[in-house]
Amino acid sequence: MDPFSILGLPRRPLLSEEEIGSAYRKLAGTLHPDQAEGDTERFRELGEAAAILRDPARRLRELAGTASSSNLPSQAAALFPQIAAVLQQADTLIEKNSVASNALSKALLSAPLKSLSFDLRASLLAVGTWRNSLEKELIRLNAAWPGIDQDAMHLVADSFAYVTRWERELKERELALACTE
Amino acid sequence: MIAGIDLGTTNSLIGVYESGFPTLLADSNGKRLLPSVVFYGNEILVGHEARRMQALHPEETISSVKRLIGRRFGEPEMEGIAGTPGAPVTLALGGQNRTPEEISSEILKRLKAIAETRLGTEIARAVITVPAYFNDAQRAATKRAGELAGFTVERIVSEPTAAALAYGLDKLQDRSKIAVYDLGGGTFDLSILQLDNGVFQVLSTHGDTRLGGDDLDRAIGKLISRKAVLDSFSSSDGIRLHEAARTAKETLSSEEQTTILLPFLKDGESIEMTLTRSEIEEVCAPILRRTRTHCLHALGDAGLRPGDLDQIILVGGSTRMPLVRKMVAEIFGKEPNLSQHPDEAVALGAVLQGAILEGSLHHVALLDVTPLSLGLETFGGLMNVIIPRNTTIPAKAGEMFTNAVAGQSGMKITVLQGERELADDNWTLGSFEIPFPPSPKGAARVGVQFSIDADGILQVLARDTATGSEKIVEIKSAVEVSDEAVEAMLSDSLEHAFEDMDARIFTEARLKAEEMLPAVEAALSQLEGELGSGEVILIREQAAQVNAALTSKETARLKNALANLDNATQSLATRLIEKAMH
Repeated sequence: MDPFSILGLPRRPLLSEEEIGSAYRKLAGTLHPDQAEGDTERFRELGEAAAILRDPARRLRELAGTASSSNLPSQAAALFPQIAAVLQQADTLIEKNSVASNALSKALLSAPLKSLSFDLRASLLAVGTWRNSLEKELIRLNAAWPGIDQDAMHLVADSFAYVTRWERELKERELALACTE
Repeated sequence: MIAGIDLGTTNSLIGVYESGFPTLLADSNGKRLLPSVVFYGNEILVGHEARRMQALHPEETISSVKRLIGRRFGEPEMEGIAGTPGAPVTLALGGQNRTPEEISSEILKRLKAIAETRLGTEIARAVITVPAYFNDAQRAATKRAGELAGFTVERIVSEPTAAALAYGLDKLQDRSKIAVYDLGGGTFDLSILQLDNGVFQVLSTHGDTRLGGDDLDRAIGKLISRKAVLDSFSSSDGIRLHEAARTAKETLSSEEQTTILLPFLKDGESIEMTLTRSEIEEVCAPILRRTRTHCLHALGDAGLRPGDLDQIILVGGSTRMPLVRKMVAEIFGKEPNLSQHPDEAVALGAVLQGAILEGSLHHVALLDVTPLSLGLETFGGLMNVIIPRNTTIPAKAGEMFTNAVAGQSGMKITVLQGERELADDNWTLGSFEIPFPPSPKGAARVGVQFSIDADGILQVLARDTATGSEKIVEIKSAVEVSDEAVEAMLSDSLEHAFEDMDARIFTEARLKAEEMLPAVEAALSQLEGELGSGEVILIREQAAQVNAALTSKETARLKNALANLDNATQSLATRLIEKAMH
């Protein structure tokens, strides 16, 4: 299955959320099983294809083919200790806060929760900066496409995978924190 | 012709698509809203007639049955209703045990009769709405209720999605992002949709199936009884009080104050009092604040900020309350859109979905999602997600498993729904055994495939790849346990319940004390030097009382001592929070 052709989109590294979403909805509107020309199997396939293309890591891997080796991007190695610590700290504090059943225990947590919120912001900013540089890299890859080295594409793909995962995990904690207010 | 039905917690509606327009149908008294109340007396009464019987015969009348559909005893949501944990909920009414789907089917039968009388033709097919956050069992049970009423259920559709369809029907050329804030009688949903040239794509949904207008009515009822210094009342009086609370809520949505008049309660007492809007807002605010969390979750899942939304559509009767509108405006930073009829938008949407299915409404498609993640229990008791929440349905996904132990001759598969990491914290939809011939470690391979249909209902297929033997697993809804079995389990657990009650209350209080005492010490040391010695002595004294009560093992004494300590430390809590903010 080629996700690009399923969605009728060009095979290239750079695709915007907007392009993918529009193409998906246009096709989904006719393939949904409720429609006269609906087709459940093709509708599901369309959903899976759109999910691949929306994720820059999966999209790049789709273009680059199988990887020769897996990379640990140097940025990921540099950021890992900070992210892991803040995530762990967040889980501990959020759990403590959720089991705190009296006003005093909760009040004791307000100072650590405030500094956690600050740390989460800082980590998200750091990951965001990395994402920005990757997006520039993606534009460069797109301009050079298809004459790009496979390994270079995999390195960017792996980097995006870290960014996506960390952003998701950090935002989850940030949301849980916002919900404790 | 396919009817559209909003099967609500408090009220239900039915409509059809007639000559290009969705129309809701009224009963012979000209009323479109049918109260979701059923009375089991010499005859079965439904709707307004049943509601009139409720205060006279509270034991034979049931309202808000939607809160129980697809539920099992022992779920956290079932507090206050006794029964054996794990058994499907049943209710004794009119001398018989009845399931929530049977009771709901009476409401659906009445709606069917209203439509058939009005149209002079048989209506055999229906689309029925459910809260977006209903799980698999609740959806399946609702479908079953429709079948018991004699309908072919063509689709189970989520309420906020239906409301979005009603909103967007005259804006099919639009491209916009909207949120539907649906505060129903018993449930709350927040759904975010992308509208794009007739395609209604749900991006995310979040909600609570135990948060609705009923809870507001109950809080107002408590306020009335507190003001009237009524500490106990009969169940008939309770129902009258609840009715009065609901009326007050409705009146106070447009007026600043109202008079509650309840003559001839038990012992000939009467209640007459004035209630103001700000009084009811004070008791309703904590309940309504809970909707904020769901709004934040849905926004997060859609990857959007409040400012990205073009409209916030309000539906559900309780969204008429000015406080709701104010809170929504605060959460989203934008005034909500009031263009939809709060009581009718969902039913109209159901009618439109019916029209899509029968092919009379073209170029309109609803792409809904599954609200909760579906997965399997793994070896270590964790949840392994197969289909994540907010996946567009219909959807399909699978995974391959191998045997972990040599000589193993089968694999137990437990299907879970929910967002928690530990399997036990999620809802178990069912479990089954896949047998295979004993084989060396890693040699047996079982493929498990999940498919969710357009109703949001799951089917699981397991296949032993070596032998090719296949098993389609019906996920049983919580219905099929015999009455006797349920009754036996019921009486069993009731006996235990009384024995254990005091011990349980003491344990709860002890756990609270064990959490509280170290917190007091920590707070005192953090605020050292900022407290008057008098205050410190007072707090230490109360803490010593709690310790003494713990040793004496007297439940009432411990609860008292805890309450005193809580009071004595209130200013500590305030000071700690202030300190953190500076």
